[in-house]
Amino acid sequence: MGVHLGADKQTDLETAAGLVQPGSMVALGGGLSARLPMALVRQLIRDGIGDLHVVGSAHSIDVDLLVAAGSISVCEESYVGYEQDHGLAPAFRRAAQEGSIEVRESCCDTVLTQLRAAEMGLPFLPVHGVKGTGIESLHPEYRRVTCPFTGQIFVAVPPLAPDVALIHAPLGDRSGNLHLEQPYVLDERFATASAMVIATVDRIASTDEVQAAGIVIPFYRVAAIAEVPFGAHPSSCYPGYAYDRNHIGEWVESAATPSGAEDYLSRYVTGTDEAGYRSLLGAQRLERLGSYTESTAAWMEMFT
Amino acid sequence: MRFSLDEYFVVELARAVGDAEVTFHGFASPCATVAMHVAKRSHAPSALLIEGAMYAVNPYPDFIPPTSNDHALKQGAVYSMRFEEAFDMSVRGEVDNMFLSGVQIDRYGNTNVTAIGGMPTPKVKMGGGGGGCNISATIERLTLWTTNHRPGRCLVDKCDFITDIGHRTPEGTRAELGYPGSGPQILITELGVFDFPDGEARLRKLFPDVAVDTVKESTGFDFPIASDLGVVEAPSRRQIELVRQVDPLGVRRREFRPADLQRSFHL
Repeated sequence: MGVHLGADKQTDLETAAGLVQPGSMVALGGGLSARLPMALVRQLIRDGIGDLHVVGSAHSIDVDLLVAAGSISVCEESYVGYEQDHGLAPAFRRAAQEGSIEVRESCCDTVLTQLRAAEMGLPFLPVHGVKGTGIESLHPEYRRVTCPFTGQIFVAVPPLAPDVALIHAPLGDRSGNLHLEQPYVLDERFATASAMVIATVDRIASTDEVQAAGIVIPFYRVAAIAEVPFGAHPSSCYPGYAYDRNHIGEWVESAATPSGAEDYLSRYVTGTDEAGYRSLLGAQRLERLGSYTESTAAWMEMFT
Repeated sequence: MRFSLDEYFVVELARAVGDAEVTFHGFASPCATVAMHVAKRSHAPSALLIEGAMYAVNPYPDFIPPTSNDHALKQGAVYSMRFEEAFDMSVRGEVDNMFLSGVQIDRYGNTNVTAIGGMPTPKVKMGGGGGGCNISATIERLTLWTTNHRPGRCLVDKCDFITDIGHRTPEGTRAELGYPGSGPQILITELGVFDFPDGEARLRKLFPDVAVDTVKESTGFDFPIASDLGVVEAPSRRQIELVRQVDPLGVRRREFRPADLQRSFHL
């Protein structure tokens, strides 16, 4: 719901991340193991930001790292974990059990509906389900309403208008036009419902090139854009790179204990910058993540 | 031909996919993912498959990866839906079948994937429910599964938290709550299959190496037994081959305990 004019919004990662204020409601783009705004997440942790209220659908290491760093006070995602791949999210789980974060667990479709209410400028919208579930009890802001036409009772949900949406895309231009590959997950909705988008892209290109690829999020929603190669790592950003399964495994294993999580953060996040992060991983390893295109066997190799 | 429990189990799940139906699975669902593709490549060629987190329509992947938001799962898809399209279609009631699992499942088919011990003070915080809280209300048929049917585990007298709606919550039945979908129709476990003739779980079939007493000991609620209690139909050679073809990485096996993966059958 913010309009951001201007032809040149390109800046560095530090300046872009600096637009996020402590206490903000932050929408995290992408989902599960794909296109997570990891460079921005790492920079927010380096900045020592706190008291964030994160919202979104199904997420993983982005939320888990922020929780481990103590950056989150409220988590309103529909899922945080690594599926049957690496299982439960260790830092998120620990914090939820200790009560150091408030888990206001939501449902993908509820989040979608709330974003639409914000986009449409409506004070509420009804959802089909939720009524009678435990999820309803986690949200005192929901209300029950009676349909004026049928008398049916629905759960009504208020608009969700994040202060900022953090989105990583493979390609964008200096003015902020972004090209994404499907699935876009909630990113289009986040872009319109939020006060601003802060974007990172693997590569800044000409407007012509981004237009030819297809603009999914238009420049006027984007307040700042920074070029960060492998900015979604260790999640995937197709067509450039598959996700780094072993690296996510390394995090999950480290984060089994609080001190292990701290060690990971100081090695890969707070003790370095993004160029240093890529050096730690090594060019060869990062290049390999793009080799999935060579053959089905090469792609399958990513998952073993 | 020898086959293992995971293959048997996936084939039984695949049987829940009707031909010329719309079927959907969520993320974190390896067995259901494999089952959908096995069905599409055998008895349900006209089914409309909507792939979990990719929202890909009728993909033909070469393999199933262990994470569901991966482009490997949209290979060969005729179309990729937007997130909005998949959810709108589900809550509008246009999806016939959805696969849903639970860390806890009660006799009414309510599922808990949020927290053991309940909220806001969980004993074990699980990942969460994704989109199930809304779409379990509206999808015509829910096909439930678990691979954790053991004493004190998945099948419980009462869910610590209800993430997804079954046939009845403490607030009332689906009809009383105004939910249009028909709710859970079957629950497939590594021991056997339940149906829900009156909105409550009834033991319908057993895997051939399982005794009724084992099911009783492993279930946290009393359940009726169908008068024609049967054995889960063995898979065909073709179905077993399809499971192996669809899932060469064996991601389905991640859902099972090692002891259950040792269970082997003969055709």
